[in-house]
Amino acid sequence: MKPTLNWQIASVTNIKPETTQVKSFTLTLPSWMRHRAGQHYDIRLSAEDGYQTQRSYSIASEPEREGEIDITVERLNDGEVSTYLHDVLVPGDLVEVRGPIGGYFVWEAGLLPAPLLLIAGGSGVVPLMSMLRHRAVARAKNATTMLYSSRNFEDIIYYSELEKLQSANNGLRVFHTLTRSQPAGWKGYARRIDETMLREVAGPLGTAVQVFICGPTLMVESAANALVKLGIDSNQIRTERFGPSGG
Amino acid sequence: MEETTDINRELMLDANATAGLLHEIFGVEMTAEPTECAHCGREAEMGTLLAFTHGPGIVLRCSGCENVVLRIVQTPEAVYLDARGAVYLRLTIHKPHPDSDSLGG
Repeated sequence: MKPTLNWQIASVTNIKPETTQVKSFTLTLPSWMRHRAGQHYDIRLSAEDGYQTQRSYSIASEPEREGEIDITVERLNDGEVSTYLHDVLVPGDLVEVRGPIGGYFVWEAGLLPAPLLLIAGGSGVVPLMSMLRHRAVARAKNATTMLYSSRNFEDIIYYSELEKLQSANNGLRVFHTLTRSQPAGWKGYARRIDETMLREVAGPLGTAVQVFICGPTLMVESAANALVKLGIDSNQIRTERFGPSGG
Repeated sequence: MEETTDINRELMLDANATAGLLHEIFGVEMTAEPTECAHCGREAEMGTLLAFTHGPGIVLRCSGCENVVLRIVQTPEAVYLDARGAVYLRLTIHKPHPDSDSLGG
C-alpha cells in the first residue's frame, strides 16, 4: 500500500437516491487508488472562517471500478456532514477527501475464499455491499450469506441489486429482517437479529466462516456475541460499529 | 469499565473508525497491525480495539479487558500520544515498489 495519505479534491459526478434518507454519491478522484472492499474515505468540509469537520464514509463500489468510487450516505437530521452532502451538494461540486483508509475490516476474494457471512444493520450494509460487488466481479463462488436488518421495507438500501446478485446463482443467499413494520405478505424475518435467526441463516456455512458485521453498536455486539455462542471463533468475526451520532 | 457510562457505550466505535487519524500520526495503515494490551496481554489487530471518539481526545481500549491501550489528543500544534497501555505497536516498513501508486490497500 501507499504509505502516505493525502487529501485530494474529488468531483461529484453523480447523485443517486437509494431510499428517502439515503443517497449514493459518485466521486471522481484525480489520484484514484484501488481500494479493498470494506475500506472507507474521510470527507472534510471547511467553512470560510477556517472551521473544519470530517467524517468517515464506507466505499460502496467494487475496487475494480477505476478512477471513481461510490459512497452511500444516510442523512442524519443532526448530522453536520451528511446534511450538507444530502441537501447542498449537486453534481459538479468539489469535495475534499482522503483514502482509501483501513486495513482491518476488509475482504478480498482471493483464490479459494472461505464461506462468508455478512451481517448488516441499516446503512451498515454499505461496506458489505462493496464486498458483494467485488465478489460478483471477481466471480467468486464461495458460499456467502447476507443477513440484513432494516426498520421498514422502504428503508432497505440496494434491495433490487441484492435480489439480482442473489438470482445470479453463484452461492449468495440474502435474508432480510424488518424490525418496525412489514408489508403485507412479507416472507422475511420480522424481529431484531437474534441467536435463533443466526443459527438458521448461518448454520449451513459451518463454523469455519469469515464474518463481517456492520451496524449500530448494540446490534453489532449482540450479533457477535450470539455467533460466538454458536461456536464461531471470535477471531473470525470482524466488526465495524457506528454510533448514532456519526453524521 | 467504570469510567464509561451507557451513553459512551452506545457511541463506542471500533478502532477502524480512527484508521485515518492513526495513519496520519504513524504514516502507515495501522488497524491491521497487531498490538498487545499491557494489562491483560491480549494480542490482536489494532482494528479490534474499542474506540471512544466523542471526548476531547480519542481513547482506544482493549476489546478483552477494556483497559485503556492508547490515548490520543490533538491540538492545533501537536499530537499527544499516551501509549502506556500497549506493550508494543507494530509499523510495517513499506519498501518502494514500482507500482506502489496503483496497488492500493
